[in-house]
Amino acid sequence: MRKWLLLAIVAWTAACGRFGNAAGSSGETERAVVISQAYTEIIWALGAQDHVVGVDYSSTWPPEVKNVTTVGYHRALSAEGILSLKPTVIITDGNIGPPQVVEQLKQLNVPFKTFTAKNDSLEGAKALMREMGAYFHKEARAEELCRKLDADMARALEEAKQHTDHPRVAVIHYGRASNIYLLVGASGGGDASAAGQMVRWAGGEMAIQQAGMQRMTSPEIVARANPDVVLMTEFGYDRLSGSKDKILELPGVSTSNAAKNGRIYRVEEHDLMYFGPSTGEGVQKLVKLIHQAP
Amino acid sequence: MVQAQNIGFKVGDRYLVSGVNATFAPGQLHLIIGANGAGKSTLVKLLSRLLTPADGRVLYDEQDVARATERDLARRRAVLSQAIEVAFPLSVREVVMMGRYPHFGTRPTVHDVEIVNEVMRFFEVTGMAERSYPTLSGGEKQRVNFARVLAQVWRPVAGHHRVLFLDEPLTFLDIRHQIDFMKKVRETVRAGDMVVIGVVHDLNLAARFADRLLLLSEGRVLAEGTSADVLTPMNIRAAFGIEPIVTTAPGGGTHLIFD
Amino acid sequence: MKASRTTGLLLALTALMIATVLASIRFGAIDFPLHQMWSSTRAVLAGRTPDTLDGRIFTELRLPRAILCVFVGASLGVGGTLMQALFRNPIVEPGLVGTSSGAAFGASLYFVLGTVLHVEQAAWTLPAAACAGGILSTWMVFALAESGGDRRASIVMLLLTGLAVNALFLSGIGFLSYIARDPQARSIVFWNLGTLSGATWRSVAIVGAVTTLGTLASLVYAKQLNALMIGEEEATYLGVNVRRLKWIVLAINVAIVAVATAFTGVISFVGLIVPHILRMLRGADNRFLIIASAIFGGTLLSLADLIARVALRPAELPIGIVTSVVGVPVFLSLLRRRQYVF
Repeated sequence: MRKWLLLAIVAWTAACGRFGNAAGSSGETERAVVISQAYTEIIWALGAQDHVVGVDYSSTWPPEVKNVTTVGYHRALSAEGILSLKPTVIITDGNIGPPQVVEQLKQLNVPFKTFTAKNDSLEGAKALMREMGAYFHKEARAEELCRKLDADMARALEEAKQHTDHPRVAVIHYGRASNIYLLVGASGGGDASAAGQMVRWAGGEMAIQQAGMQRMTSPEIVARANPDVVLMTEFGYDRLSGSKDKILELPGVSTSNAAKNGRIYRVEEHDLMYFGPSTGEGVQKLVKLIHQAP
Repeated sequence: MVQAQNIGFKVGDRYLVSGVNATFAPGQLHLIIGANGAGKSTLVKLLSRLLTPADGRVLYDEQDVARATERDLARRRAVLSQAIEVAFPLSVREVVMMGRYPHFGTRPTVHDVEIVNEVMRFFEVTGMAERSYPTLSGGEKQRVNFARVLAQVWRPVAGHHRVLFLDEPLTFLDIRHQIDFMKKVRETVRAGDMVVIGVVHDLNLAARFADRLLLLSEGRVLAEGTSADVLTPMNIRAAFGIEPIVTTAPGGGTHLIFD
Repeated sequence: MKASRTTGLLLALTALMIATVLASIRFGAIDFPLHQMWSSTRAVLAGRTPDTLDGRIFTELRLPRAILCVFVGASLGVGGTLMQALFRNPIVEPGLVGTSSGAAFGASLYFVLGTVLHVEQAAWTLPAAACAGGILSTWMVFALAESGGDRRASIVMLLLTGLAVNALFLSGIGFLSYIARDPQARSIVFWNLGTLSGATWRSVAIVGAVTTLGTLASLVYAKQLNALMIGEEEATYLGVNVRRLKWIVLAINVAIVAVATAFTGVISFVGLIVPHILRMLRGADNRFLIIASAIFGGTLLSLADLIARVALRPAELPIGIVTSVVGVPVFLSLLRRRQYVF
């Protein structure tokens, strides 16, 4: 009797142990929860979206992603919410919280996956796409994306050269968690560096030099920078209903050249705020936008 | 019996009360009068032990009151002030029952419930026992408070006289309620063997109801005795700065008219 | 009010709490079938770990969360009752003596500086920081309120000092979120809205112990708090040592609220709503209110947490939003009443 019981327990535990397996080792369908805007875009670009059962609130591109269940803001997740989707892996770029929820998920042996490559540059983005391509067995597609990115970038730079002016560009991003508008600096960590680089490739100059992102509190910062063009990411822009008047109310904007010439434009986050598969296209769009006649 | 032996009290360098000697016998209504700032309220607080004198001492039945414990004192000394403001929906019965708090632990005894009923009858507030205190009129509130305060010292305590203080209880009462109240006070004094000490502003009310008067001026005792002794034109002028015309009331007591 | 009616009311409240907690355990991002709940609970009681992932979710996430919710709700409810008795004012919250804002400041400091100072990200460091903040702010309120000439902290002084210290710590939090790098700032905001998502059996044990002890301790002072309702002087004449009472009751309040806040963030209005509703049912006697606030507080917070977990599932609303939605109208209706005196 005892022997059978032992066998049953071992079999049962072995069956449950599958949750502890490294993800992607078997050929079956993954149930991945993706907590990263950039990763989500890349997965869709790779055509691997069938593996995704949940995304974080900030993942909004491509548009089809909005049909996927969201598990909440990436810094305020709920363990149960994620677990209710029965994930086989949680894919995160490290920007995930709160820490106790991460703890809980780890304690329940839910596998986490972070990719080594970081999309903090074009090369990084390509490396990331290749790495993710390998993970999802879409290597060929990954290579295609890399080639497309190179081609798009080359074309973007060509088009940028056609313009002789170097408009001063201010980028205004919207911080969803704290409900505030942020000025994106020319360099610095994370999102800030991507925007700065792309504006420069597009032939523009970042009006705000200060590194990193800062809150728009003092009007003097923008007033002194006096941008020729203001780019707003879509969430913030849509919040103001695209109303020029409301945008002009943001500190320092109204006195700028941009305001005077009506050169305030909406930009989608994925086109500007990180390096990814559509960066090349993004720069092309930027070239057109910032060199537009007022 | 309550005695003040040369008591003084100061705030900073200023003496609010100094060199006060007085004796208050049981079974009599003692009223303290004086101008604003004369130290009446301070004196009552010293006598009731809310404040500790800087000089001198207060004696209850010849024992220094400073030595008694809070709990012990609360069973035989009660103070009625102006009508209290309560921000919560306490019922009249609950308010009166608070007077019995010093007498029981967690739950009131049958005895306490009995006393509360008796006291409420005495003050004719039984009908409003379940009403919410904040909804009462000024006069009704003061009756309820008087009931509460008396409930605290309703029964005699072995070896001690009970002491009842009335600290300007007539404020906010209209004339009819003031008279009713003072009549009830007199009933209370006659009924038992308590020391009753009160503070009032109205000199004629004081004259009419008090057995003994204590006139304070600038923190000191100016005069002490019966109404006739104390309410002389000279005393009144010295204490209040105004000259009265002294007459006799229909009932025979002193009555003051001010021009 | 007959004693039997009071007992009946308490039993009814308890029944309501049990029903709400059961619903809270059953429903959420995952709805557990009854047989699952039963077998997993048996496993916990027997000391075994359940075999299925769902079973483990139930015993390691759902159950501790539901129980923590009851304890936190109880501590906030009792805290509200104690504060209102002490301040003789129904529009008072445990956070008014600075405890909640201090705890929130401690947590924010941890978020912003924790990475800079390479503080180890253990599960206990955040609650410890919050507790330290809560104790600091409350101590400040007392030290300042008692520093007046006669060294007596009247309730008005406490109220005003509490407001000032709250303002100080809230601007401190504002400053921290200003200088914080973007991701840290986001963490601060979400924590400041309260969440039960970090519940573990350990936190249940800690909060449970402190809340239970605090509630029982405050029952000892219930009668004295009643006396305080009619005035400080009147209470003194009834034999209450008012100064000592204030210190003790405030210490209890700080303990239970700071510990709860440390594990769940700032959750507002529970301490306001719970005593208010109970008073409407049964009157202001603290001997009833303290126990009833514990029970009803646990019920309300469980209900709020249920809503927070179900409304947008599988995502979660911060629980502070749910309590505010209910709490603000109650607060406003209290303000509008004339019969409350300040």
